[in-house]
Amino acid sequence: MGGALSATTIGVFLDSCNSPSTKTNGKLFDDNQLKLITEVADIIIPTTSSPGAKAAGVGPFIALMVKDCYPEDAQKAFVKGLDALEEQSKDQFKKSFLEISPAERTQLLSKLREETIAATKAEQDKQKEADAQKTDPDKAKSQTENAGFASILPKDKPKTEPRFFSIIRDLTLLGYFTSEIGATKAMAYVDIPGRYDGCVDLKPGQKVWA
Amino acid sequence: MSNLNTKATANNTYDAIVVGSGISGGWAAKELTEKGLKVLLLERGRNIEHIKDYTTATKKPWEFEHRGRITEAQKEAHPVQKRDYPYSEFNESYWVNDHDCPYTEIKRFDWYRGFHVGGKSLMWGRQSYRFSDLNFEDNLKDGHGVDWPIRYKDIAPWYDYVEKFAGISGQVEGWPALPDGQFLPPMEMNCVEKDVKKRIEDKWKKSRIMTIGRTANLTVPHGGRGSCQYRNLCSRGCPFGAYFSTQSSTLPAAVATGNLTLRPFSLVNTIIYDKETQKAKGVVVIDSETKETIEYFAKIVFVNGSTLGSTFLLLNSTSAEFPDGLGNGSGQLGHNLMDHHFRCGASGRAEGFDDKYTYGRRANGIYIPRYRNMGNDKRDYVRGFGYQGGASRGNWHADVAEMAFGAEFKDQMTTPGAWNMGLGGFGESLPYFENRVYIDKSKKDKWGQPVLAIDCEFKDNEQKMRVDMMNDAAEMLEASGIKDVKTYDNGSAPGMAIHEMGTARMGHDPKTSVLNKWNQMHEVKNVFVTDGSCMTSAACQNPSLTYMALTARACDFAVSELKKGNI
Repeated sequence: MGGALSATTIGVFLDSCNSPSTKTNGKLFDDNQLKLITEVADIIIPTTSSPGAKAAGVGPFIALMVKDCYPEDAQKAFVKGLDALEEQSKDQFKKSFLEISPAERTQLLSKLREETIAATKAEQDKQKEADAQKTDPDKAKSQTENAGFASILPKDKPKTEPRFFSIIRDLTLLGYFTSEIGATKAMAYVDIPGRYDGCVDLKPGQKVWA
Repeated sequence: MSNLNTKATANNTYDAIVVGSGISGGWAAKELTEKGLKVLLLERGRNIEHIKDYTTATKKPWEFEHRGRITEAQKEAHPVQKRDYPYSEFNESYWVNDHDCPYTEIKRFDWYRGFHVGGKSLMWGRQSYRFSDLNFEDNLKDGHGVDWPIRYKDIAPWYDYVEKFAGISGQVEGWPALPDGQFLPPMEMNCVEKDVKKRIEDKWKKSRIMTIGRTANLTVPHGGRGSCQYRNLCSRGCPFGAYFSTQSSTLPAAVATGNLTLRPFSLVNTIIYDKETQKAKGVVVIDSETKETIEYFAKIVFVNGSTLGSTFLLLNSTSAEFPDGLGNGSGQLGHNLMDHHFRCGASGRAEGFDDKYTYGRRANGIYIPRYRNMGNDKRDYVRGFGYQGGASRGNWHADVAEMAFGAEFKDQMTTPGAWNMGLGGFGESLPYFENRVYIDKSKKDKWGQPVLAIDCEFKDNEQKMRVDMMNDAAEMLEASGIKDVKTYDNGSAPGMAIHEMGTARMGHDPKTSVLNKWNQMHEVKNVFVTDGSCMTSAACQNPSLTYMALTARACDFAVSELKKGNI
């Protein structure tokens, strides 16, 4: 099928044939998808002076998190986005994402990043517009002033569209910086500090505390 | 009771019964056993043994399967607990399954609960502040609620007493509205906090002060417990016993007397009233594992089941004499529910400290005590607020692009970035009669009991106060040279601060209050209520230290009355 299918079509295809579900204990991802996740994470946090996301086991962590900690719509968006990335690679480079170079992978993810930023911003603008219509501009100076008995309850966060790149980036950062490699090699981790010093000189090369 | 055989009754008879093993119940058990009473301490949940059962306390970040996040399945079982940050993978087992113990939200009320020995003393925030006469006199002065039946001088020696045992670290400030205590050495402010403190106190000529948080964390070994190791993992339970909890502090003291019987899985369903003696004679317990019903008897009963837990128990303890709940002749039981309102303040970036950093994870911040509506200051609302906050240096860098990734981004994320300083207000709410709880018989909990309906909201006074909470924070930060100051008001629902109070209040007059100045029921003299439900007003300080002091004071009174034969 290759590049013949658009992302939307793939989405429909997936919905009908490979629908992820929180209700089953089955795997959400096949081995190929797991490899793909692992390689994407390793572009987001690559090996530098410290090992990267792949070495820190972030791939399997992301797969577990998407399965356990995300609602069905986010799982679907994730799977759809992952497969679309693979299709994009085949379209552009005639090869699987797993076979292209790190530079080519970065190129694809950069494009995905830009698309995600644009889509997120468009969604936020739309939300702001909707909010503005609800709010009396005369009262905009203060949310609570002259508001009588209007509620100070927390407002529900507007429901946002789950996006593959945002999710995989979030989970890569969480998974990496809380991994043993990330916490102890990329950051600085002290299990039992034993004391608090509120004002020490920053030493050259000091990493941020995990 | 006539069909109970005498031997069984004798076996189930103690000098005192304490209902609930959290912060105040632990204190009641300690004080009463140390005074020689045989005490039965009843806890509705499971036992958690000190250190041994803190199963996550020494886990490293990577040893948590979901790295602290909760799963969709856990969210489904915890629709209330999941509403805010305290419920996480790090101490997931300390929070109730909401489906076991439903309640009715007439209006949104976030009810955070932990059913186990130690109660919320295991997970609490540990900030420990005294109330002052400003707080004890506010009700009388502005006419909201009823007058507190005590003043600072009545409770001051008891603050001394509980602080010496619990171990509270803090800095003496000589600030009358936030009296000093018997402090262990204070934790250190970091360099940004020290600078902000100086600038605020200079600018407002010490009509506003900033101090290090007064916290029930030990800065030196104390009472056989180890000092804080600055891991900042307190709410998992501390393997060093370095913060005050029932397990680390009051329970071992009570056990050491040989006078304590602790019974977990003991849900107290009702208090039994004896119309002949006009006293309570015992309690009916539902074994929360077997659902078997058992009666226990005692000369005095201390009710320490948390504010709403205790209030439910009293409302559920009806008799011909008290058809609306035990000791509720006033009709005030269940009313005047309060909580602090918060999640409102400002934060920004501190410049000039790029060559400085911190070592260790301090489980404490700074505190700015109330300064509003004091002296000549008069606002368009009554009462006031304090701030908690602090400065920290993480990995935030101004020049990181949105959704950045790759090698350069990784380097930035692992390099110390900007210092951030924030102030978050904690505001007093007023005791509104109509903010109340009552029993809803249309639902049943897992143990067949009816449930509480909670009808509570913040009102105009709280709302007006929040404008100052937000703007004052920004003003103080800007005066301290903090850059890019941004205000926020994330909204606050009653219950979120987990400082619920007031539903069995103390007062002078049996017609308008449930408890007298000794936390003794006006109408049932051998029943004492010393958890948050006793509070006549909320002030804006974290209240647990006051529950401790009131409990120790009430125990002293109760035992002296017992010895005199008055109860």
